[in-house]
Amino acid sequence: MTVQRERLEADVLIVGAGPAGLSCALHLANLIKKHNESGEVAAGAPQLSAENIYVLEKGREIGAHQLSGAIMNPKALAELVPDFQKSAPLDTPVTDDAALLFTKSKSFRFPLTPPPFKNQGNYVVSLNRIVKWLGGLVEKAGVNLFTQFGGASLVYEGEGIGGVITEDKGLDKNGNPKDNYTPGYELRAKVTVLAEGPRGSLTKQLVTQKKLDNINPQSYGLGIKELWDVQPGRIAPGYVAHTLGWPISTDMYGGGWIYGLSNNRLSIGLVVALEYADPLFDPHAAFQIWKTHPFVRKILQDGKLVRYGAKSLPYGGWYSMPRNYVDGALIIGDAGSFLDSQRLKGIHLAMKSGMLAAETIFEALKASDTSSKMLSTFPRKIEQSYIKTELWQVRNFHQSFQHGLFPGLLHSGLQFITGGRGLIDPMRAHAGYQAYKKIDGQPAPPRFQGDGKLTFDRLTDVYHSGTRHEEDQPCHLIVRDLNVCSTKCVVEYGNPCQYFCPAAVYEIVKDNDGQPRLKINAANCVHCKTCDIADPYQIIDWVVPEGGGGPNYDGM
Amino acid sequence: MKILVVTEQRQGKWNNTSFETLAAAQQIAADASSTVSALVIGKGVGHLAEELAARNVAEVLLVEHDLLEVYTPDGYCVALSQVINAAQPDMVLFPHTYQVRDFAPKLAAALAKGLIGDCIGYRNDGGKLVFVRQMFQGKTVSDVTFQGAAPWFASFQSGAFRADSLAAHPSGKAPVNKVAVELKTEQIRTKPLELFKEAKSSVDLTQAPLIVAIGRGIKAPENIQLAQTLAKALGGEIAASRPICDEGWLPMERQIGSSGQTVAPKLYLALGISGAIQHVVGMKGARTIVAINKDQNAPIFEIADYGVVGDIFEIMPALTEALEKAKFA
Repeated sequence: MTVQRERLEADVLIVGAGPAGLSCALHLANLIKKHNESGEVAAGAPQLSAENIYVLEKGREIGAHQLSGAIMNPKALAELVPDFQKSAPLDTPVTDDAALLFTKSKSFRFPLTPPPFKNQGNYVVSLNRIVKWLGGLVEKAGVNLFTQFGGASLVYEGEGIGGVITEDKGLDKNGNPKDNYTPGYELRAKVTVLAEGPRGSLTKQLVTQKKLDNINPQSYGLGIKELWDVQPGRIAPGYVAHTLGWPISTDMYGGGWIYGLSNNRLSIGLVVALEYADPLFDPHAAFQIWKTHPFVRKILQDGKLVRYGAKSLPYGGWYSMPRNYVDGALIIGDAGSFLDSQRLKGIHLAMKSGMLAAETIFEALKASDTSSKMLSTFPRKIEQSYIKTELWQVRNFHQSFQHGLFPGLLHSGLQFITGGRGLIDPMRAHAGYQAYKKIDGQPAPPRFQGDGKLTFDRLTDVYHSGTRHEEDQPCHLIVRDLNVCSTKCVVEYGNPCQYFCPAAVYEIVKDNDGQPRLKINAANCVHCKTCDIADPYQIIDWVVPEGGGGPNYDGM
Repeated sequence: MKILVVTEQRQGKWNNTSFETLAAAQQIAADASSTVSALVIGKGVGHLAEELAARNVAEVLLVEHDLLEVYTPDGYCVALSQVINAAQPDMVLFPHTYQVRDFAPKLAAALAKGLIGDCIGYRNDGGKLVFVRQMFQGKTVSDVTFQGAAPWFASFQSGAFRADSLAAHPSGKAPVNKVAVELKTEQIRTKPLELFKEAKSSVDLTQAPLIVAIGRGIKAPENIQLAQTLAKALGGEIAASRPICDEGWLPMERQIGSSGQTVAPKLYLALGISGAIQHVVGMKGARTIVAINKDQNAPIFEIADYGVVGDIFEIMPALTEALEKAKFA
């Protein structure tokens, strides 16, 4: 079917309204306003307009797909919105930061909180609320913000990118148009900014197509989070704890968090690096088991689960940062590896990367030149900013842990004293999915069943993510060869998709003839991208479903 | 400027969006010192043409032919091409109906013209007409205008103009002019069948007093028959949890739960349903819940009033038999 698409032209098209994308939009709108009011325009410089900035967001509303712990360093926000303390929903400043070591039944607090875990001056926030608030400022600045529209494919032009095609709406399961069929728009832009978050589907296309990978492939973690309302007095607002150890074995990288928000609300979660050896490992179950630790159980007792969600995060850091500029496009935020995996901080770096992108674009628009030569000032700006300073110190951090906790601690200790260099610099990393060991006939473990009070099965948790999709639409999880699942993967790795997916999307069912078959419950998907990352054969492509589908991370 | 409005009728009854489009045409004409003609197409629709003549129009074109009695895209396209070529309007306006969506693009293409579909308004931009269309699901609008020579084609969205703003004819009545068209049977490639209305939903589960619902425990589509027989014996409706409808074993309208129907029958018989929260939210309002499941730990038993830990394939036929016996006893 050839489709005639409506075409629109913009100066700047930003894909994804997260902290990076919105900071880029707001900073650029501010620069344009200043420019238009300055003498430059009167002197003949081109007039620019914030109305020619478009932002696409696949979520139902701004913030709907935002999930983070979250502790925010307000550094970048203070630059972007100098009086942010007056209106930003900051929730609560960090008052206490503990590093805890869990054994099965005990917990030990490190007498001194290691420097990376220090959070004085930071805020415990709901990223969903911060982003919603930021979205309001962006709209007020005159930027066109389109929710419920995702970037489905890139428009290649010359050596680079000419824009994006949004997803087709109103297609049925088999891809045939329904009554409400509307083909995606072809949005042309002088600069396209990919701010899709970790493992963005367009970013993946672009990085592969143009071979933009750095010396290390990107490493990822999966964060699983629950928001609880707990009994009064259980936890002080601003209390922050990170846990190491049980139930995460020492050959894996990961840990838990407990953050106290205001009004007896609690953010808890578990992060694991998606580079473990056991293909039958179930991160969601590990999180549920973590909650049964006496330390956590005591806090949650008689509390109530409010919301659930999961999201991947890029761990790779400096040496995994893809080349972030091509003709007509930039990559920012988590999509561009702007995250400090040691301090577990990405929000301020994402925002800063967006702001530096805005400055780059502003200069390019003024010069009417958006070629890669002009945009190559973006990485230079990063080099000169605190993004480089912060990420450079930890450039080998995550790689150290690819061989387990103890070598990791040793290496990272040495790196700490040598300003990040350590014993080997640059330290290489392998893609996480390569770490799987074959199951060798190992039987599948029984699935985790929750008690319905403290612990939950995945379907119950997914219910609390508020996830909703139009049911009658093509599956947005494209498995390139289903035979691999039912013949090869089942023998070699025991279909790890059933275990790593925190939303019970992937399910192996037995047909009448006893043959295993992959059933994809796409409507459960919380858009965490884990399947695209952790599939051992790399044959799953996560593509955007019909806009508006996905989780509703209110308050997350 | 000569504006022609193509109205829509079916079996001699108006599609009322036609009048909204006529109102739009009158407004455009008032702005640009133009004339408006209205067109009625069909067979035996003279009375509709007379009705239109009472409005403020320059003339009404009546296009009738045996082959236009029932709508076909080919018939309309051939006939209207002839009328447009003869009448030479500058602009042709349509109500944006399903029928117009079907034939108008074809008509415009046959005349090598553009069509601006689904407009919500217009502006007169220094003598040039600019049409306004919604984009991004109404979050923004775009201005669209024509290039090239007339006639130009556009359609207006239902509700974009008010039919009650339609002006009456100033001096009583406009002339109705019949326009003859040549149309041959072989030009019409579609064979229209009898009109039908799609059944809204053949079943309204929300009104069913007894529901027999099946889940994954049914295992295969051929086993659904057993549950259906039981439902029939009970005088209840069959329904299902998500996986069953997802597989296409039962239609989507029979799905109970957060992404399906919410029901509160007198009796809800849950067969082989585990009771995931997504399903439970759609049926927990049932007065009596009876659950049969072979897994005694299935969460459905937490909300069931009566629970049977057992094999549905043993119980379903036995229950059906008992019910049949009771009926004849």
